Amino acid sequence: MKAQSVAAYLLPVGCLVAGCSDAQSVLNPHGAEAESIALLFWITAIGGALIWLAVVGALIYAGRRHRKPYSQASAARLVLWAGAVVPSILLAVLLGYALALIPDLRPLAASADDDRLHIEVIGEQFWWRVIYHPPDGQPVVSANEVRLPVGERVTFSLKSTDVIHSFWIPPLGGKMDMIPGRTNTFSLKATKAGIFRSPCTEFCGPSHALMAFTAVAMKPGRFDRWLANEGKEAVNGKPGLKPFLANGCGACHAIRGTEADGAVGPDLTHLASRKTLAAGSLPNTEDAIARFIAEPDEVKPGVRMPAFGMLPQDEIDAIAAYLARLE
Amino acid sequence: MKLNVNRHRIAVRINWKYIAIGLAVLPFAAVFVAWLGFFNIGAASGHWRITELFLQLAMRSAVRTYAIGIEEPEAFDRGAILPAAGHFARGCATCHGAPGEPRPAMVKAMLPRPPRLERAVHAWDDAQLFRIVKRGIRFTGMPAWPTQMRDDEVWGMVAFLRRLPDLDPEEYRNLAYGPAKRSRASGFNGSFDAALAGCARCHGMDGLGRSAFVPVIAGQHRAYFVESLRAYAAGERASGIMELAATEADRKLWQRLAEYYASLPATEDEQSAADAERIARGRRIAQYGVPRRDIPACLGCHGRPDRNPVYPQLDGQKRPYLENQLRLFAEGERGGTDYAHLMTEFASRLERKEIESLAAYFASRQVQRGKAE
Repeated sequence: MKAQSVAAYLLPVGCLVAGCSDAQSVLNPHGAEAESIALLFWITAIGGALIWLAVVGALIYAGRRHRKPYSQASAARLVLWAGAVVPSILLAVLLGYALALIPDLRPLAASADDDRLHIEVIGEQFWWRVIYHPPDGQPVVSANEVRLPVGERVTFSLKSTDVIHSFWIPPLGGKMDMIPGRTNTFSLKATKAGIFRSPCTEFCGPSHALMAFTAVAMKPGRFDRWLANEGKEAVNGKPGLKPFLANGCGACHAIRGTEADGAVGPDLTHLASRKTLAAGSLPNTEDAIARFIAEPDEVKPGVRMPAFGMLPQDEIDAIAAYLARLE
Repeated sequence: MKLNVNRHRIAVRINWKYIAIGLAVLPFAAVFVAWLGFFNIGAASGHWRITELFLQLAMRSAVRTYAIGIEEPEAFDRGAILPAAGHFARGCATCHGAPGEPRPAMVKAMLPRPPRLERAVHAWDDAQLFRIVKRGIRFTGMPAWPTQMRDDEVWGMVAFLRRLPDLDPEEYRNLAYGPAKRSRASGFNGSFDAALAGCARCHGMDGLGRSAFVPVIAGQHRAYFVESLRAYAAGERASGIMELAATEADRKLWQRLAEYYASLPATEDEQSAADAERIARGRRIAQYGVPRRDIPACLGCHGRPDRNPVYPQLDGQKRPYLENQLRLFAEGERGGTDYAHLMTEFASRLERKEIESLAAYFASRQVQRGKAE
């Protein structure tokens, strides 16, 4: 009985600890901002734990060991030092430390004109439009995946077209709201390579929980090669392009290098190179693409894409096969 | 004294009891009398005078009451009268007669006898006529409009009924039968010519539509044509007029009708210069959509020569017709082929002004494609 209740208490603790190594954890820092926040967290948590132990120790000592009353003068000294002076000093140091972190966390100078990579991320129900603006070169449009080079500070411009969303890459830093009609700017610097899950962190509608992007921190050389490829037009000889265009998919989705130039939904030019499908809702497989074409509203309630389940199955399959090879 | 009071009380109690028992038995007695079958329900002898007076009172009062709160649209375009006339000839004239068309004798033996509307419409105001045409009248044989979702069609019929008393037989025949000039008597014998004459009443032999509210079907793709007829006949696309027309034409003839109209040239509507600005606005939306509000480019589907054949040809289509259809889509009431939900979704995001601009733009567009295929 007792063992069971202990296990019942430990279960949530276990879950929390397991969360620490997750691709979505702030305690698994891979970026400058997340590292300093994690360090601040550990200092505060461990310091708090030590103070708690000291207070409880003193209580036990006073209650069990030292039954004799203190003199009024020594009691007053204790209250003065342990109750006022030491806490004030500790809090002042902690505050000073936290304030000193701020300039690095949110550099005031961060703006879209910096001479560095600038990534525009626009939240829409329920996906992310991502536009890379390299300092020297053409903008590259993508969706639902944010890649950035390790060791370089990257400026983000955050926008929304409909309701408030919130941008957060837990292992790198954030979060910052995306507000319709505003552009919020901040920057991130990845320090280690990794792949992270980045959920929308402001309730934005029925599929809020299904709105996440994949963040990938990559070595600078690999990143440059990836971005160069992402900027290229799609190369794909599969016959699915014909039904894709004939059924009007191109009115909403763009595939560069084809007639499809819609700007309503996510750009699909290099869909197959992404880690997930439909903003983190499905694994990026051919079957999942076919399913999403046929019943997007079943996968993501409230999705803005209408269902195309009325298409003949062979056309759905052909389109899925085509999209699954857009690398 | 005391005794009297008691007796009195007992008497009252017993009376109530009898009444309660009587009320409880009454429905069973009524069912019993009906079951005996002596009540004469034959139409030949007509109603008792008192029954007729009661039914008339109930009907007139109900129409008057239920017409309260019906909002009449602003002056309806006269173009709506023409499809209503075609529908009148098909659905109403059999019982109500029409200018120059006597009714068959069996109709005169109906109870109640359907009124000649040339004379009867004066008794009702527009809202009351609307109510009767849309909802029908119980116990009279007057059916409701086949769909309850197309008030615009019902108002067109009201407008036609207002014209009816002034029509001479020649004018009526021209409105209702059009170029085919077929009277009801030569009617629908299942032949292709008869079915085509049924379409041509409103759409014309040239498929260009005989009024602003009748769409151009010349040059329309066969697949869309047949799918639309199927949707009308199945009640999946709301239209009382087309539901009747589609179910009347033999299903086996649909493909031939589609081929006939697909092979005809569609000519574009002539636009006045005043519309130039509106057309330009419509062109912008049609070409680029409004991505900010998730409105895709119309031409992404409707402008492609290689498009899915169930996506209709809109170039040169009638402006009022397009406006009306977009409005119906936006209200979620149009229905249509298996693809109609796409338009329901997109049209609901359009503003009224955008609908007008798009209709003007597509009406002005040159027909892009050669032969329908």
